[in-house]
Amino acid sequence: MATRPQNTAPQPAYLQAVELTAACDYAAVREAALFAKNWLVSHRLPETDAAGWELAIAEAGNNAVEYVTAEGRALPVRFHLAIGENEVEVQVTDHTPGFELKGDIELPDDESEGGRGLFLIKSLTDELAYLRGRGENRFVLRKRRASTAAIPSLDILELQRRLAETEIALSEMGEELSSSYEGLVAMFRYSAELGKNADLGDFARRLLADVLQLTETDLAVLRVFQGTNLETFLVLPSKDEAALPVLTDLDVSRSVELEAVKTREDIWFGGRQPLAGTDPLHGLAGAHGGFVHAFGAGDQLLGTITLIRRQSHAAFRSAQVNILHTLADFLAIQIVNARLLDERTQSRVTRRELEIAANIQRSLLPVSVPSLPPFSVAASCTNAREVGGDFYDVLRVGEDGLLIFIADVMGKGVPAAFFAAVLRSAVHSMPALYSEPAALLTSVNRTLCDDLSRVDMFVTAQAVFLDVANRRVTAASAGHCPLLLWQPGQPAAQLMDEANVPIGIDIEAEYKEASAPLPPGAAALIYTDGLTEACNPMGEMYGLERLNQSLIAGAAEKKTADTIREAVLADLNAFRAAAPLTDDQTFVVISHNL
Amino acid sequence: MKIQSPTPQTLVVTGLQELVAGNASQMRDAIRAELKPAHTVLDLDLSTVTFLDSSGLGTLISLHKTMRTQNGTVRLIKPTPNVHQILELTRLHRVFEIVNS
Repeated sequence: MATRPQNTAPQPAYLQAVELTAACDYAAVREAALFAKNWLVSHRLPETDAAGWELAIAEAGNNAVEYVTAEGRALPVRFHLAIGENEVEVQVTDHTPGFELKGDIELPDDESEGGRGLFLIKSLTDELAYLRGRGENRFVLRKRRASTAAIPSLDILELQRRLAETEIALSEMGEELSSSYEGLVAMFRYSAELGKNADLGDFARRLLADVLQLTETDLAVLRVFQGTNLETFLVLPSKDEAALPVLTDLDVSRSVELEAVKTREDIWFGGRQPLAGTDPLHGLAGAHGGFVHAFGAGDQLLGTITLIRRQSHAAFRSAQVNILHTLADFLAIQIVNARLLDERTQSRVTRRELEIAANIQRSLLPVSVPSLPPFSVAASCTNAREVGGDFYDVLRVGEDGLLIFIADVMGKGVPAAFFAAVLRSAVHSMPALYSEPAALLTSVNRTLCDDLSRVDMFVTAQAVFLDVANRRVTAASAGHCPLLLWQPGQPAAQLMDEANVPIGIDIEAEYKEASAPLPPGAAALIYTDGLTEACNPMGEMYGLERLNQSLIAGAAEKKTADTIREAVLADLNAFRAAAPLTDDQTFVVISHNL
Repeated sequence: MKIQSPTPQTLVVTGLQELVAGNASQMRDAIRAELKPAHTVLDLDLSTVTFLDSSGLGTLISLHKTMRTQNGTVRLIKPTPNVHQILELTRLHRVFEIVNS
C-alpha cells in the first residue's frame, strides 16, 4: 500500500527544501553548515536563528566525520534542509555505528575537553530523533520558527541586507510565480464558466488538459462516483484508457484511489512506495510516481483525480498540488450543477408524462351520465395527484337498464391510467354481459389477468346492474368496497358485500352477485376506498359509518342523485379540511326519485 | 593567526577566524609551540572569530589546563556576540576570564 513518502511529497508544513552532500571530512562539513545558514537566511529565517542552525548542523556533521566507519569514509555526509512557515527541519545522514539518543543530555564537567556537541545540538533545537539504520543513520533536528509578525527596529544596513535577500528570494520565486500566474488565469477562466449549462464531459476534458500542463504531468485519471461505484469518467491522454481496468472491487487495501476516498487525503505513490501490482492504476502508472486527490463539494465526495508523471521523476511543487486542488473544486461545482440540471430535466419529463396520463384518464370518464326515470344517477371523481387509478363508467343496457362500473387500479401515474384504459375497452367489448355483473367480472378477469399479473398489478372493481323495470340493483365485486344501499325507514344502509379477489390475481376466479330491490326514495352509493380512508388534519379516517350517515342524510331529504352527490362531497371536504388529498375519491350515486 | 609575546609573561594570539573541528588541534599545537614557562597570561583575541564549535571549545579548555599547570590563565579578549552566546550556553564563561574592553 502506498503512503506519503517522506522526502518527495510536498508537505504543507515545508514550503522549501534542499539536499546537500559533503565529503566525509571536517572542512566539507563546515562548508555545508555555512551554506545551510545562508540558505536559511535567504528563506527569511532571522540571522541569529540561522547562526544557531549553522552550529547545530556543524556539530551533527562533525559527529558523522569523527565516528565514521572504515567503509563509510568514502560515502558523503548528506544534509536535508526543509523550511516551512512554522518549523525548520534538518536531517543529517551519517555512516557511523550510531549512538543511542538519551532524553536528558547533560553538560560534561568544566575540565572536559569534549562531550559538548550533543548538548549544543539539544540546546539549539526543539526536537531530536536519531534513526539508526543498516549502514547509515539519520539524525533529525527540528526547531519551531519564531513568529515573523514582530519586526524589530532596523538600521539602514540591516534594511539593505534584507532588501538584497528579498531580491534573491524573488528571483528564486520567479519560476514559481509564473506557473502560479498561469494557474490563476486558468482559475478565472473556469470560474467564469461555473453555473453555465456546459457539457460536463467537455468541461472536464479541458480542465484536465490544463491540469496536465500546469502541473507538468503527462497522465490524468478522473473517476466520478455513480451511486456507490467509482467509475472512470475520463483519462488523458485518452488513448491510455484501454489500459485502465474498471474499479469495481471496493478493496481499499489495493487501490490508492479508494484509499484517498476513504481517508479524504492526498495519497502519494511511486519511488519507495510504488503502486501495488494489483492496484487498478498499475496498468497505467507502472512504477511511475504521482498522487491521488479525492474531491467533492461540501460533505459530498464526488470522485478522484490521479496525476502520474511518466516522463519525469521530479517531485510535485506545492503550487502545482494547490492548482490541482483548486481546479478539482471547480470541477466539483460543475458536476453538482450538471446533476441538478439532470434532475430538473427529469422532473420536467415526468411532469409531461403525467399530463399525458391525466389526459388519457379524463378521456376514459363518461362525458355525461345517463339517467332513466324514475332513477337518477350522478358521479364524482376527484384525483389526488395529476393521475390516479380510479375509473368509472355508466352504460345503457337495452331500453331499461344501466351498468355502473367502478374500478381502482393499483398504483398511480401512467401505468395505472394505461390499465384503466385497457379495462374500459375490455368492459366495452362485452355488452352481452352488462346485465350479469358476476359474469362480466369473471370474463374481464379472464381477459386481463395474464397482462396484469405479468406487471404485478391488480384492479378492484364493482359492477352494478340497475334493472329499471324491476326496480332492483344487482352487484358483483372484485375485491372492491361494498355497495351501500339505503331504503326509506331504515336506520342504516345495507351493505352488499359479495367480495371476491381483485381482477388480475386468479384467472380461475368465479365472481358472485347479490341483488336487492330499490324502492322509491331509496339510494345506492358505489365508491372507492379514497372516501372511507380520507383523513382529516388530525389523522382520523372518514370511515364507513360517516359515509353511511352522509348518504342517509342526503337521501332522507328526498333529493335527486345530483344533490346527494353534492351533500356527500360537502361532508367529505368539511371533514378533510386543510389535510391533503392522499388518494382518489370516486363515487356514483343512484337515487330512486320520488 | 598571529602569535606574539609583547612581554615575557604574556602570549597574545590574534587574527583568529574560526575555531572548529577542522583547525582546532593545529591551532592548539601551534600555540603550545610558542608557549614558554614564563608565560602566565595567554590572551586569545576572539574579536575576529565568527564561528566556534564544540571542538573549538575543547581547544580553549585544553589551553586553559595547560596554562594552569604553569600557574597562568587564559583570557578571552572581546568575544563576538555569537561566541559569547556559546560560552554562556555551555557555562564556560565562568571558567575563563573574559575581557570586553
